Amino acid sequence: MQTAAVETKALSRVFNPKKKKEGKSVTALDSVNLRIEKGELFGLLGPNGAGKTTLLKILSTLLLPTSGHAYVAGHDVAKDFQDVRRKINMVSGGEISGYGLLTVKENLWMFSQFYGIKSKVAKDRIDQMLETFGMSDKKDEKVRTLSTGQRQKMNVIRGFVTDPEILFLDEPTLGLDVNASRVIREYIVNWVGNGTDKTVLLTTHYMAEADQLCNRIAIINGGKILACDTPENLKKLVKMNKTFSLDVTLMNDKGALGSIKGVSNFTFSDLAETNLTRLKFVLEDDSAVSDIVSEVLRSGSKIVSLQKTEPTLEDVFIKMVGKGFE
Amino acid sequence: MRSDLKTFKNAAWLGWQMEANWTDPFLFATYSIVKPIAGTLILVFMFMVVVGSGTDEAFFSYMYVGNALYMYVAEVLFGVTWVIHDDREHYMTLKQIYIAPISFYAYILGRAAIKIAITSVGVLITLAFGILVLDVGINVGEIDWLLLVGSLVLGLGCLCIIGLGLGGITFLTARHGQGINEGIAGIFYVLSGVIFPISILPSWAQSISKVLPVTYWMEAVRRGLEPGVMAELSSDSGIDVTGMAGFSDLFLMLVLLLSAAVSLVLSILIFRYADVTARRKGKIDWTTSY
Amino acid sequence: MTDSWLVRNLRAIRGRAYPRIIGSKREPSWLFFDIVLPLLTVSAYAYVYKFMTARPEFVGYVVLGGAMTAFWLNILWAMASQLYWEKEIGNLQLYLMAPISRMSILAGMAVGGLFFTTIRAGSTLAIGVLVFGITLNLADPLMLVVVFIATMISLYGMGMMFASLYLLFGREAYHMSNLMTEPVYLASGFYFPVKYLGPWAAAGASFIPITLGLDAIRQLFYPAATQDAFLPVTTELAILSVLCVVFMILAKYSLAFMENLGKSTGRLTLRWQ
Repeated sequence: MQTAAVETKALSRVFNPKKKKEGKSVTALDSVNLRIEKGELFGLLGPNGAGKTTLLKILSTLLLPTSGHAYVAGHDVAKDFQDVRRKINMVSGGEISGYGLLTVKENLWMFSQFYGIKSKVAKDRIDQMLETFGMSDKKDEKVRTLSTGQRQKMNVIRGFVTDPEILFLDEPTLGLDVNASRVIREYIVNWVGNGTDKTVLLTTHYMAEADQLCNRIAIINGGKILACDTPENLKKLVKMNKTFSLDVTLMNDKGALGSIKGVSNFTFSDLAETNLTRLKFVLEDDSAVSDIVSEVLRSGSKIVSLQKTEPTLEDVFIKMVGKGFE
Repeated sequence: MRSDLKTFKNAAWLGWQMEANWTDPFLFATYSIVKPIAGTLILVFMFMVVVGSGTDEAFFSYMYVGNALYMYVAEVLFGVTWVIHDDREHYMTLKQIYIAPISFYAYILGRAAIKIAITSVGVLITLAFGILVLDVGINVGEIDWLLLVGSLVLGLGCLCIIGLGLGGITFLTARHGQGINEGIAGIFYVLSGVIFPISILPSWAQSISKVLPVTYWMEAVRRGLEPGVMAELSSDSGIDVTGMAGFSDLFLMLVLLLSAAVSLVLSILIFRYADVTARRKGKIDWTTSY
Repeated sequence: MTDSWLVRNLRAIRGRAYPRIIGSKREPSWLFFDIVLPLLTVSAYAYVYKFMTARPEFVGYVVLGGAMTAFWLNILWAMASQLYWEKEIGNLQLYLMAPISRMSILAGMAVGGLFFTTIRAGSTLAIGVLVFGITLNLADPLMLVVVFIATMISLYGMGMMFASLYLLFGREAYHMSNLMTEPVYLASGFYFPVKYLGPWAAAGASFIPITLGLDAIRQLFYPAATQDAFLPVTTELAILSVLCVVFMILAKYSLAFMENLGKSTGRLTLRWQ
């Protein structure tokens, strides 16, 4: 079996207060077992205080575990931290790091130097990435003049410019507008998917983002991993029916609809205000959709609108955690 | 008025937290004692190295008391401007405080008040050390309380007001702008008769000394606190050793009062100008550290 | 990306020095303050000596001591406690994640700050000499350079060791820096020859490199004032050379130890401590 990008074995982290009066110990991670393969775009979902950032801090060698082990690119984060650092980078949402007095390009260049990247190589990469992220016009602007979103884009670029093997992204699209978020997501997907075994561990509060991007997702709460699987398989954990509803012009003969293979239940109602009929199917099999549409068209009716609903990641999350994001 | 008092109180509480809650009380007390005394001991050794004799001389008391009092100058001036710099650059809370419906003056003065309170402890410890260990010529029975309290109140008020003006300038300057308040404090240190009488300065420098409020403040507080020492220095061979013997107590107090009034007007004008300019240039929440 | 360890760390030093150097060009207000401010304290102490009719060398000692305060303050505020502010801003965790030696980050800060510091020290010395009419008799410039370099290396090594405290502590370390400013001025004889503290106190203070460095520098500028010297210059240089090695080694281990402790307790990147 090839070395995992990230592997944790019974990883735990307890925070003890400096003084008794400051409160009790907090178990931020409780025996976490996780394995992320190379080339995966892995998502970590959890409410505030679930342990996501603690996990990232351990994996990025900023924090030691209380017990258990964590390996990044095959290296122990506690003992071989220098080896780990050569292969990773991390970007957090809402970062205010950097120096206000330097320009965007200077800040990015400075951080690249800590990873031993040759100046020319770093500058070329920075120029390229600024172009990709639509920030070329800002490269000579001082960082203190940037908006929050622009600063976050700069931070994201900082994470990629060192070309790490494994990138930890802690809510990277926080504070970004729709277009900017989309550019970043596309970049992440391309970066992981270009066949060079790049790995991303992403934490996010945006369910749609996780659903869209991640190969697999782990749901964490109270320091424990509650579930870990592909988005599709996670949705199957929720016993919620898939429904397919169509609004059609007046349909007289509906008898055949209920006996279509893959349909477990069929109801209909007439919508008096629009003179349409609403057909509702509970599906056992997605392939029944085409048969339903064919039957409706065969009957002479016209389809005015159709909608398919199925369990979302949010439904999975609420079921697992017992609440939505606070 | 009630709202301003509340702001003042809350700001003072915040100032106390910033100054004191970083450690346990014992360590904080140690820090509060060691810091002022160490600074004073430099002068003690300088004196003993040169003069060779004990520390019961009039000039030593003059120097020692001046140095102790100077803590107010340094801490209040530095403290007020540091509030703005700290809140803006490090905690990045200045903008939230700025846009809150409170009097920013009351906020600044509240933070300054705590500085004064903490500094007072340091001053008292330093003076007590001087009296008990170094034979500094302060005789509690001889203290002119009216002059002492009056000059302290007026002087500290004047310092807070000057600090407010400097605080306004801080809105417009980068991290090295702290140098402005250190510079002003440093000018007072050299020219206001803090650790040596202004009579030793060149005449052009003495002219400047005589327009600085801190010069009169130092003289007034010394006369109140150690009248015997000041009398001894004044009567030395008929020479005006301190350079201020020709001014009466009343004159000193009037100068302090006038200085406070002028400083108030100037500081408020400077602060308002800096406030508007900072808003116009977007400097309320800029960061400049590197 | 995999350059040698040395090249990577040299690049890191260059990278971290850059903001300091560029900052000095973009915010030139420091020039005025770093030249004028030190002169004020120097002037005050010089006038105290003048009032007490001390020997002229004492005014020279004050000017030399005042010039050297630039380096001590650079250690305390521009290196050691700078890590505190880097932590608050969020840069520290980015530095700590990078595959470089912590000493490189600090060396970068020191190198970048050296420009300010040298200007400050040089101008204090030059203006102090001019204003107070001091005569300096330097007979052995080479020895001066050697002593100065040895003092700086050992002092910066000590500064790195001190900086390691900031990996664990927050405001406590900042207040410790504040606390150490004046006691070191006292113990190291910035404004009077350290010999007058007494042999034991002077010996104890000699662990701070600037104590012996400043004493040696004064002897080199005032070779006739032997009564104010603590130890012969060659002895002081030998001790400083040992301190260079000792502090660099201690700095390395101290940084590693403190970082590990900070990671164990979870305080390495904890803000607002």
